Amino acid sequence: MTTSLLVPQHVAYIRALGDSKHELSYHLSAHLKINAVYWSLTALLIMGRGDALDRDEMIEFVMSCWDEEAGAFSAHPDHDAHLRSTLSAIQILLMQNALNRVDVDRVVNYILSLQQPSGSFAGDAFGETDTRFLYCAVNALSLLGKLDKLDVEKTVAYIRRCRNFDGGFGAVAGAESHASRVFVCVAALAILDRLDEVDQPTLYWWLSERQLPNGGLNGRPEKLEDICYSFWVSSALSILDKLTWIDSSELEAFILSAQAESGGIADRPGDRPDVFHTIFGLAGLSLLGYPALVDLDPVYCMPASIIENLGLRKGWKALQRRTS
Amino acid sequence: MDLPAEEEQPLYSQRPEWADVVPLEQYESVAPLAPIFYTDEYRDATNYFRGIVKSDEMSPRVLELTENIIRQNPGHYSAWQYRYKTLMALKSPLDDELQLMDELAIKHLKTYQVWHHRRLLVQQTRNPGPELEFIANSLQVDTKNYHTWSYRQWILAYFNDDALWSHELDFVEKMLESDVRNNSAWHHRFFVVFQSGVRNGDEDRDAVVRRELAFVKERIAIAPNNASAWNYLRGVLDHAKMPYCELQAFVLPYSLPQPPLDTPPEVVDLESPLPSKDAQLPCVAAVEFMADIHEAAGGGDLVKATELWKSLANEHDTIRKRYWEFRIAESLKTKSAGDG
Repeated sequence: MTTSLLVPQHVAYIRALGDSKHELSYHLSAHLKINAVYWSLTALLIMGRGDALDRDEMIEFVMSCWDEEAGAFSAHPDHDAHLRSTLSAIQILLMQNALNRVDVDRVVNYILSLQQPSGSFAGDAFGETDTRFLYCAVNALSLLGKLDKLDVEKTVAYIRRCRNFDGGFGAVAGAESHASRVFVCVAALAILDRLDEVDQPTLYWWLSERQLPNGGLNGRPEKLEDICYSFWVSSALSILDKLTWIDSSELEAFILSAQAESGGIADRPGDRPDVFHTIFGLAGLSLLGYPALVDLDPVYCMPASIIENLGLRKGWKALQRRTS
Repeated sequence: MDLPAEEEQPLYSQRPEWADVVPLEQYESVAPLAPIFYTDEYRDATNYFRGIVKSDEMSPRVLELTENIIRQNPGHYSAWQYRYKTLMALKSPLDDELQLMDELAIKHLKTYQVWHHRRLLVQQTRNPGPELEFIANSLQVDTKNYHTWSYRQWILAYFNDDALWSHELDFVEKMLESDVRNNSAWHHRFFVVFQSGVRNGDEDRDAVVRRELAFVKERIAIAPNNASAWNYLRGVLDHAKMPYCELQAFVLPYSLPQPPLDTPPEVVDLESPLPSKDAQLPCVAAVEFMADIHEAAGGGDLVKATELWKSLANEHDTIRKRYWEFRIAESLKTKSAGDG
């Protein structure tokens, strides 16, 4: 049972993702590749090891995902452009100090073209809409300094329609409240300076109810805990300045117990690790003030210093970083 | 055309009927950062996919190829997109396509594309009835699947046919009979009853509220420690703008540590079904509810609210200690504001 963060093992795990020859799961995840690179880089930066992956290689990979026809980025060379991939590309290039490689005007056009009459955003030309994509759009436009191009009222009106009777938010209007969508809606509202749209007492309570007796967090009532909620729920609470309500020592212990001895974090203790749960476990620990980690901005899920330098820091509060 | 996944099929590169297509290898401009290593079958199929995309081919064999890829990797969204375009171009029978999707969906319920593809097809076929049945069947396999429930809501709202809506309450009731803690089912009920317009027969909204309160109270009596049911109860009261104190008689027994003394069988209060003898009491959600009632009453009741919050913080719901301490602190502020 691990009671401390296995930083060298996690760094090695992430570096080895590039070497992995074995698994079917890697080839099946081509549609997530650029997201995996963003998760990997952010995880390394939280651990203060951004140097662990080659910067030039990473930038060239991102640029190889440019879809010239669409004017945006895809998840993998030769795949079609997607809003999610476009956000990851922008985040990676920002974190690698190479945002000048982006054709900003074309990307902005692509993003805006995906907004539907309802105010929601599709993820791509195929048309699936989800508040996750709305967040990707708002986040990306904000990082590019082009938020003024967005119809904010229309966007906020749609988020409002996704707000449920329990204070939470769903993927589309009418859908069940889910912690991941609570995060994207709250973060989008934070970027747009519209946190007044949150049904505050009800949502605060709903979020604090996600913690289970074992310390882990779940995504909706009567469901199992999962490490990724360490980020979705904690970041939403931190944006609303209520992170102190989580029993942080229990949550930390839970996250640490989901580490694999050889590196990486799993969805829950005993399961196999993956990069998705690795970043979100680390992000949760950073917000909870775990020692020797870099500060993370919960709105953008990127190092806080980068967001601050862009003048985009909002009024969120993480727990104070402990020295030991 | 059925392509059983278990049978050994020759690679496309070995099939003479595909000899006219130029397969294109996965583009790698630089030494790959996180190289994806493919099985031969997947590499072969996707090479040929890139080939036919380049030549813009939309033919029956493209349907076979995209089905092959989707079976190996339901997350390959480009293959889904291209398949849909091909179906439209060929004017393929979409009911057949839906049947094929039925089989794939059961295996790949957590993949967005599977549901989105169905959505596109049903918008063409305009035949939602069988979809509701399909959704019910797939929910037997994965009762809380987020996409499945969301898709059901979409079908109901998009076609907005009274005949479709009319079975929903029965459907939710059946789902809750299997698992009274299914939050998705409770949410769906709220959506059907309160968030999707008024249907024939439900015009008396007060009667609807009374019906829903009776429904949720019965379910709480069966299994009191069920966050979803209590959330639903609060949702109904908030929607109807009813003060929580109106439910005090019902909630009180659930907030006490002992089960109520045996009541004579002829005295059955239908408005306030009691917890069963083996219920785990006190029920945390009931204690919270009573505290909210006392808080709303204000004045001297704030002391009672504080006592209940303290019992939650220190005994019954310690994981949320800091939240309950916040509630105590807030009410003290209100109290001193009131006293001042």
